Parts: sequence; C-alpha cells; structure tokens
Amino acid sequence: MEFPRDTPVYEVFAQREALSFPTHVGSVRASSPEMALQMAREAYFRREAAYDVWVVPESAITRAREYPEVLPVAPEEKTYRLPGGYDNAPLWKRFKAEAQTIEQVAEEMAAKKEGRS
Amino acid sequence: MQSREEAFMARVQSGEKVEVMDWMPDEYRNLLIKQIHMHGISEVMGAYPEREWVMKAPTIRRKLALNAKIQDEIGHGQMLLRLAEDLSQPYGRGREDLMDDVLDGRVKFHNVFHLEAPTWADAGVIGFLVDGGAIITQAMLLGSSYAPYGRMLKRIVAEESFHMQHGESVVLALAAGTPAQKAMLQGAIDRWWPAMMFFFGPREMGASSRRMLDYRIRTMTNEELRQKFINRYAPRIQALGVSIPDPALKQDPATGQWSYTDPDWDWFSYVVHHNAGPRSADRLGLRREAHDGLRWAREASLQAARHFAKEADHGISAGYAGL
Repeated sequence: MEFPRDTPVYEVFAQREALSFPTHVGSVRASSPEMALQMAREAYFRREAAYDVWVVPESAITRAREYPEVLPVAPEEKTYRLPGGYDNAPLWKRFKAEAQTIEQVAEEMAAKKEGRS
Repeated sequence: MQSREEAFMARVQSGEKVEVMDWMPDEYRNLLIKQIHMHGISEVMGAYPEREWVMKAPTIRRKLALNAKIQDEIGHGQMLLRLAEDLSQPYGRGREDLMDDVLDGRVKFHNVFHLEAPTWADAGVIGFLVDGGAIITQAMLLGSSYAPYGRMLKRIVAEESFHMQHGESVVLALAAGTPAQKAMLQGAIDRWWPAMMFFFGPREMGASSRRMLDYRIRTMTNEELRQKFINRYAPRIQALGVSIPDPALKQDPATGQWSYTDPDWDWFSYVVHHNAGPRSADRLGLRREAHDGLRWAREASLQAARHFAKEADHGISAGYAGL
C-alpha cells in the first residue's frame, strides 16, 4: 500500500454555550482525533472560548447535496405548517381576549425561573 | 469532605449543565430516563387521538395541518427517545426496549391521551389546551440542568408554536360559528378541563418529582405550572363565551392564585397506571400493530447495517448507496 502524503482531514464543529447547537467552523489535518482537537484549538480558538468542540473524520460525513433526492427542499406552499399561517389575533380581539405567542410563554417561564434563584 | 454526589448536586444547583458523557449519580440518570422516556412515549401516543380526525377534518387545509402536527409529534418522540437511549446505554437498553415498554405497561403516558376525542371540537381543544399545557411544561424544561434535553426542547418548542396557533385557530372558528358549533366546543371544553387539571400532577408532588426539582431537571412545582396554565387559559376560554365546568374556579385578587375543584385524582391515576382509560386499549392496539407490522423493516435495516459495516472492514466505500 502506498504511504499517504498527508494526514487525514477532520471537520471541526464548535458549540459556543451549553444550550446552543454545534456549528461547523472549518477543518484541519491531523494524525489522530486527539491531535485534531489540538489543531482545531490552534486554528479556530485563539481568541474565543468554546463550550465544546467536535472533530469528525471527513470520511465519516455523507452529504445530502450528493444525493439530491434526499435533499430537503420546500417547493410547495407550507404555510399551514407554520405559526405565521394562522392569523388568530383579529378573532381574539373580537372576543376581547389577548392573542398569545409561544415566545411570550417561554419568556414568562424563564422570568419565573430567574425569580426563584 | 464533600462526596462526589454532593459535589454534583452543588454543580447543578449553581446552574451548571450536565452532558451525557459526564459522571452523574445513578439517581440523576434514572430520574432523567424516567422523565424523558415518558415524555417521548407521550409524544408518540399523542399522535393517536388526532390521527382519528385526519380522515374527518372539515377542510383540506385543516387536514394538511393536522397531518403536519402528527408528523411533528412523532418526530419529537424520535428526538426524545434518542436522548433516553443515550442515557440508558449503561443498562444495555436501546430503542427496541424503550418502545416495547409502552406495550408491556412499563412506561406511562399522559392521561389526556387515554381519553376519547368524539367531535371535531375535541381535535381543536387538544391543540388548544393539551398542546397549550405541554408548551408551558416544556418552556419550563428549557432551563433543565441536563443540557441535551434543554437543547432538544428548544427545537421542539419552536415547532410547537405552529401547534398552538393551529389549535387556537380551530377553536376560534368554532366559537365564531353556528350555535351547533358553539355547543360542540362547549362539550369538548367540558370533557377536557378536568383532564387538564390532572395533567400537571398532584398538588403535593411525589418523592421523585421533588428530587427532579433538587437536581434542577425541572424548575417549577406541579402547582406553579397549573397556576400558569389556568391564568393563561381560563380568561381566554371565558372570553370565547364558553363556560368552564368548575364552579369553584376563582382568582384571588390579592395573591393572583386560582382556586379550583380537584380532578378525580384516583380515577385518572388508575387510568395512567393501568392503561384503563376509555381509549387506552384501542390506541395501544394501533401502536402494537405498527410496532409488529414494521418489525420486518427494522430487521431489514439491521441486516443492511451489518452489510455496510462488513464492506467498510474490507475497505470498500461504506458511503450512502442511494435510495
């Protein structure tokens, strides 16, 4: 077997804080996953902190763009599936009640939580 | 000296988050499995009452919306079961076991999904009140000490936003409709209100729920959640010209606290512990049918996975082979 000229590629994903999702930031070459983490630290985190960093061998990734039949696209109208597809506010107003959004519920619950601690 | 367990408790109580690979006390792991497993299975079982109304939805748009909502619930079930599977790894239990548990009565699901949904108004009120109640609980759980649960709930709550608007839209249309439609809505509210009072659990929480509070798996008591729910929904229901079937329902102007009639705790509790609700057996029957009927597909997937692994061992590309 021919000896490879380069070390393998690892894709780097970083998570900024506990409740955020890992996001792809770039890639590195390294001899092992541990080395890839070291390289990622040098290449992408010279300034900012991260909650977690993932390195994934490039060869382990399968991209949907190479298989267009499974790529999620939204050609048809899907407003029935979205909160914006429902205009309830005028009817709530007619019944003299307040319309509500899920963001308001989330805010109320988070405010309560902070009040406790 | 502080024990490992005490140090862990101090960590979560100071607001630190826990990941699946972190060391955690067995008690914490078991409480998480109990909570997330039940949550995931309830999402799956929650699809069944609404499924009954897909075929009978009054317009094509309502049919599409109801169908989309059911797809979301099953999707949420999948996402949550993945979390429960990761936590169950030390016990050697995977997806198949966690799904079997509901059929064998080893995991409970929400009381509301054991009940009948005899009219179209019930389909609407499930979206309005059951999803409304679930959203309040899930918004509270966004602050959970278990970070994978908190992250997953972010995605789930974002999708529930459509469920909330859809449920309200159906209910508003009926409230603004003919006398027959208004009567249908009143009937559904009469059926679902006591079930929603049970939904948040007993006034005095059980031992494991209290431990979940200690560990910050959850951040509010049953009663706090129920009060949030009543405060949000009672005025809206009354504004619709629909009465709430509870003469004791009243808000204390000084404290803001609502008094209410206790639901039949013993009956609902018996229903969830013994799958003894009016529709429990039928819906579990459909679940069993789906589970058994698709066993061949799961077995074929396992065969295919073995085949791919073997090819990878032999240096053949183990990539995606197309559909």
